[in-house]
Amino acid sequence: MSVEVTKYTLEQVEALELAPGTGHENLEGWVPTLASEDDLRQVIEKAFDYRGDVTLTLKNGDRIEAYIFNRHAASTLADSWVQYFTAGAPEKRKVDYAEIAVIEFSGKDRAAGKHWEDWVKHYNERKAAGETNIALAPEALE
Amino acid sequence: MAIPISQMWTVSTYLLKKKLAGEKRFALTLMLEPLFRCSLACAGCGKVQYPPHILKRQLTPEECFAAADECGAPMVAIPGGEPLLHPQIVEIVNGLIARKKYVYLCTNALELKRRLPEFTPSKYLTFSVHLDGQREHHDLSVCREGGYDIAVEGIKEAVKRGFRVTTNATFFDGVDPNSARAFFDEVMAMGVEGIILSPGYSYDKAPDQNHFMGRARVRRLFRAILSNRKPTWKFNMSPLFMEFLMGDRNYECSPWGMPTYNIFGWQKPCYLLQEGYAESFKELLETTAWENYGVASGNPKCSNCMVSCGYETTANIDGFGTLKGFWGMARGNFRKYRDQNALKLLDEPTISGPEPLTQIVENDRSHEENNR
Repeated sequence: MSVEVTKYTLEQVEALELAPGTGHENLEGWVPTLASEDDLRQVIEKAFDYRGDVTLTLKNGDRIEAYIFNRHAASTLADSWVQYFTAGAPEKRKVDYAEIAVIEFSGKDRAAGKHWEDWVKHYNERKAAGETNIALAPEALE
Repeated sequence: MAIPISQMWTVSTYLLKKKLAGEKRFALTLMLEPLFRCSLACAGCGKVQYPPHILKRQLTPEECFAAADECGAPMVAIPGGEPLLHPQIVEIVNGLIARKKYVYLCTNALELKRRLPEFTPSKYLTFSVHLDGQREHHDLSVCREGGYDIAVEGIKEAVKRGFRVTTNATFFDGVDPNSARAFFDEVMAMGVEGIILSPGYSYDKAPDQNHFMGRARVRRLFRAILSNRKPTWKFNMSPLFMEFLMGDRNYECSPWGMPTYNIFGWQKPCYLLQEGYAESFKELLETTAWENYGVASGNPKCSNCMVSCGYETTANIDGFGTLKGFWGMARGNFRKYRDQNALKLLDEPTISGPEPLTQIVENDRSHEENNR
């Protein structure tokens, strides 16, 4: 079984020894072409799933750098919206799909580039060098 | 039996009222995430990978109380992030206690000893300290050498001050069942009320995507570690849920039973998956396509999940809602689960797992051999 499986039977589920992890798509820096409504909808799904900020350029020329945490995909673009936080405003905001012209995956992908094996390697190297209190630290907030 | 009678009474009467009212979906435990900021960077965690401006945000006490009032759950677990990093966490906890909620404050305990004087012991408050296993295993798991010792200091101080304390451990692939059993001895000797366990969930945003156990392996591991129990071990979990982990019961997921509220809103559909957010608990219940989740749905995202946030509610409904379940639960509190085959599992080499660290390879195993 692989991550491409879209539906499991109960027998398959009960027999799973290892759960397939999720392949990570490298989206950081991507500026997709939004040629059709389908393109826009698909890219918004990726932006919703992305653990970094994106920059939205609206059809009126406004640019919004935001973290998209929710979306509502209705039958028309005018009835569909994304919900986001920006760094400078305390409240949740919304913008309709229909207003979005460009989506840039401009912010750092916070879920990318860290692996268990890297930590183990990091640990063993420092341990061999005689260091103590070896740790991975959370990223700085500034 | 680790859970106090008063808490069991509260939960059982709550479930009975829901049953009599004919409510099919309701909250039993609110998973309240007041912030995502954390002081650890664990490889298996998929909860804290956000841009800094998101990590700086936090729920206000009023937002926390409104969520608790709205969903009505008698128990509130406060995970995160690290809740002790929230500057108003004491106010949040006290406000929930004033509402007679049984609060489980989940913490890595790096700040616990220092913050304890700010809290007041109560039957409603439990510090649930993240400890993933013995010292070497825990430090490796949380990617911080010395993390275990700090957490244990916090636990001992909390026990000394009269707080309810449990440990909570998440097990990923490669856990040595003998070490897990030795760990149970260690934490019970610290004076904790009970142990909470969970198999790891395959968070798609976790840095490590290679060590998530499937159901077959989860059941083998939990059969090995939870059979042939010592009388000193106490678990702060439903006995039926533990039997589910051991492969003795089949349950379906109740993702609505432990709804999650955080800075984004009410998370759809559960604590582990983020498929959108609702503005209210009512909206969450009414607009989530619940049939798309749980193992029976065939959804691959649910395929390896045996986590308490989905299945312990089902176990509790079974335990408090049917005579057969109640009997099983009562019996489970006193059973030792003697099982010769499970003993043999303890002798099998660990199937796979993380590349061993030097300190683990060199670890003295003699204490584990006494742990049968």
